[in-house]
Amino acid sequence: MHGRVKVKSTAQQEEEKRKEREKKLKAFVSARDAVLRKRSAGEHDEEALQLTQQLLSSNPDFATLWNYRREVLLQLETSREKDEVQKLYESELHFIEACLKVNPKSYGCWHHRSWVNTRLPQPDWTRELGLCDRCLSLDERNFHCWDYRRVVVKESGVSVEQELQFTDRLIGSNFSNYSSWHYRSTLLPQLHPQPAPDSASNTSPSPTASPQIHSHRVCEEQLLKEYELAHNAFFTDPNDQSAWFYYRWLLGRAEREEMISCVYVSRERERVSVAFSKPVHAQSEGLMLVLDGQPQQVEWRSTHPRLRHSPVWLCDLPPGSVSDISNEHNLTVHWTEKYTHRDCALYTGCAESWCRDSATDQELFRSELSVEKSSVLQAELQSCNQLLELEPQNKWCLLTIILLMRALDPLGHEKETLAHFQTLKEVDPMRSSYYSDLCSKFLIENTILKMEYAEVRVFSLSNKNLTTLCHLDQLLLVTHINLSSNQLLRLPPQFAMLQCLEVLEADDNAIESLEGLYHLPKLEEVSLRNNQICKLSDLESLASCTKLTRLDLRGNPVHKTANIDSELSQLLPLLCKSQAFVV
Amino acid sequence: MGTQVKDVVIKPEAPNTLLLDKHADYIAAYGSKKDDYEYTLSEYLRMSGIYWGLTVMDLMGQLSRMNREEIIEFIKSCQHDCGGISASTGHDPHLLYTLSAVQILSLYDSINVIDVDKVVDYVKGLQQEDGSFAGDKWGEIDTRFSFCAVATLALLGKLDVINMDKAVGFVLSCMNFDGGFGCRPGSESHAGQIYCCTGFLSITGQLHQVNADLLGWWLCERQLPSGGLNGRPEKLPDVCYSWWVLASLKIIGRIHWIDKAKLRSFILACQDEETGGFADRPGDMVSSLWNLSHTILHMHIYFACDFSRTCHSLYRAYHSLRYILASVIYFHPGGSFPHSVWCGWSVFAGR
Repeated sequence: MHGRVKVKSTAQQEEEKRKEREKKLKAFVSARDAVLRKRSAGEHDEEALQLTQQLLSSNPDFATLWNYRREVLLQLETSREKDEVQKLYESELHFIEACLKVNPKSYGCWHHRSWVNTRLPQPDWTRELGLCDRCLSLDERNFHCWDYRRVVVKESGVSVEQELQFTDRLIGSNFSNYSSWHYRSTLLPQLHPQPAPDSASNTSPSPTASPQIHSHRVCEEQLLKEYELAHNAFFTDPNDQSAWFYYRWLLGRAEREEMISCVYVSRERERVSVAFSKPVHAQSEGLMLVLDGQPQQVEWRSTHPRLRHSPVWLCDLPPGSVSDISNEHNLTVHWTEKYTHRDCALYTGCAESWCRDSATDQELFRSELSVEKSSVLQAELQSCNQLLELEPQNKWCLLTIILLMRALDPLGHEKETLAHFQTLKEVDPMRSSYYSDLCSKFLIENTILKMEYAEVRVFSLSNKNLTTLCHLDQLLLVTHINLSSNQLLRLPPQFAMLQCLEVLEADDNAIESLEGLYHLPKLEEVSLRNNQICKLSDLESLASCTKLTRLDLRGNPVHKTANIDSELSQLLPLLCKSQAFVV
Repeated sequence: MGTQVKDVVIKPEAPNTLLLDKHADYIAAYGSKKDDYEYTLSEYLRMSGIYWGLTVMDLMGQLSRMNREEIIEFIKSCQHDCGGISASTGHDPHLLYTLSAVQILSLYDSINVIDVDKVVDYVKGLQQEDGSFAGDKWGEIDTRFSFCAVATLALLGKLDVINMDKAVGFVLSCMNFDGGFGCRPGSESHAGQIYCCTGFLSITGQLHQVNADLLGWWLCERQLPSGGLNGRPEKLPDVCYSWWVLASLKIIGRIHWIDKAKLRSFILACQDEETGGFADRPGDMVSSLWNLSHTILHMHIYFACDFSRTCHSLYRAYHSLRYILASVIYFHPGGSFPHSVWCGWSVFAGR
């Protein structure tokens, strides 16, 4: 049905075609009706095999016929000796192979073949592997065949090494080899696993992401060899996108250790804010709060109703438990599901306190670099730069250079990175939005790093063509944020994680939605001049920010609303009138 | 030595406006000529075909042109004793067509014409030890079926009958190095499977487990110079992949990573001006219902603003579709799930 070119033909040709089809249709309908009649009559015999054979050869997607065929075969099994059953199913395999020649991509065919192998007294896995080899030599991207091959390999005990060598051959000889690289990514962790972590910190299995996805599951020695393999592929053909995809996987960061990144306590609000290394659903994680040695009965809530899974969770301490500033307190949050915890001391005279592993501590935005890995990546960066000189328009190369620079030294390469992103948008304009968002992410990462080095709680990223926000869980402690003169469209629900935020400047963007300005307990000043806030209802969530005293909405469509002053004072009654927006 | 990018070239005389009336006529007439060759040969997926056709007619505001009573009777005749529903009379039940049937009945607000409890039992009974779902009693495992299972149960308000943790665990075990998903653990990433898995994870409230930036990149790299989308690297563009890729991007919040204008012109160029319908790619034979429904659906997701200016009924359809998508993305398991929510979705059926 797919991939047939439309060719205009004469009236006579049309008529001939029509007659031909009518004939075919009649034959099909009569065979189909005969088969279904037989089946209704409960007949499971050779004739049924013949009739279904006719139909399935050219209609392998007619699934019910495969089902009928299986019923017949099962029935025939009961009256045959083992060696006859063997022959019966071997001949079935011949039939299936004939079908596959006509249609190598029929789910029904491949599934039936798998089923036949479960019925064969003596399956011949060597033959099956040969079939896969032949099929893949005709079409290396046939995923049905690859999936079947994986079953054959498992059943017949072909070694992982052998299969890795198989991918070596295919990758070396063919351009369209994405399937081979993919297969490789699944084989490596089996053959060269990363040594298991200390069992004391090991957790019970949970539904987390597949082992395939994380290159750290492959031991470093092997990983570094893989760089060379991919590198050779895209140096031979810089447009071999498969190798570039694979390379990006190699550059990927390890899955973060599951832990509590930060605990923040506010004496005034008697509230605890907890940041986790990944989004969680607090109620399912066995969280326990201990205050001065006493477990506390608390209710955990997310920072925004839309965030059922979130990296940041809040709870309120029993009233009066920490409010007296002359008292010192010790707080511990236990994450019992992951056998980890974090302490936080709230000292006398301190209104707030926190304890955390910073982004720098966790090496969040760069690779963990052993000496060996660092030198390999440096060499790779050099080579890619050489390639770029030869192919200045190659987007894969440009992007990979950016990723290499970030793996090695995100801050040191910032200027070059921005320049490369500019070039990327020029040579690959269809994906401009992607590059803008990715660049925004990297700028945010760098700003977080700079903020941490400076040991301040001010996040400033204005006039940087920011198109999106991310890593907002890293901004839990930030008091002042400046996002002015960018291209942001919204302050998403995740913005509600900025529990310490006092001042927000986000003038000169294209912001339409303020969903994330929700129950921000310390937010006092908000400047949103020259954005796209259109309706009063867009401001509703601000009512939950009870400390808000300044709101600048000049230059937004909403400020043209009739009686905007009185409307706003109804919507946001706590807003100090004299300090409100200016009409 | 350099690889040529596999792609098509759009001819200047290709259509560049949406020929909606032709498409509506095409569907309304489809199947009325029951002696049609392709119609008969596609009987093995009839239930899904009906679903795609109805959805598209509904989006175009012309659902009333379809024969509701006839279709409902047809569905009733396709439910088997085990509770499962087949593609057509005389065919065997399967999860794919069980979902399509439930979708159609939801669209027609007539879910109780079939034995709902039995459908639920049928679906539940297909879950395996490892959390995966078989398509039917013959045991083929595929993440498509995980999607069919939860979509069916969500529409019936019965997600709680299956082992959710294991179902999620199985789908996540199919995540690959590139952030995408395949049929089974170890299978290569493919746009159709990615649609099924991201759809599954959306319904089950587990989208945070997806690496949206990585997967979004893989998905936006499906767009070729012609503007069309392929289903995986180094393949030709195909209009149906526009649906799966676009829907997946929408689910993970990255739809703006595709060049909208270029995709639009590719799709319009796939139209057959004579017969109505869409071909896989400009110049090919029309692949009837499959492509048409997928195309109209995704054009509504992405280009609906254009339609609102041309036709009032489409504007209404656009709003319902926006609600649909918002519901899917923010779906909370256990909450009520509007029946119209699946107007915008179709099932990746074998072909």
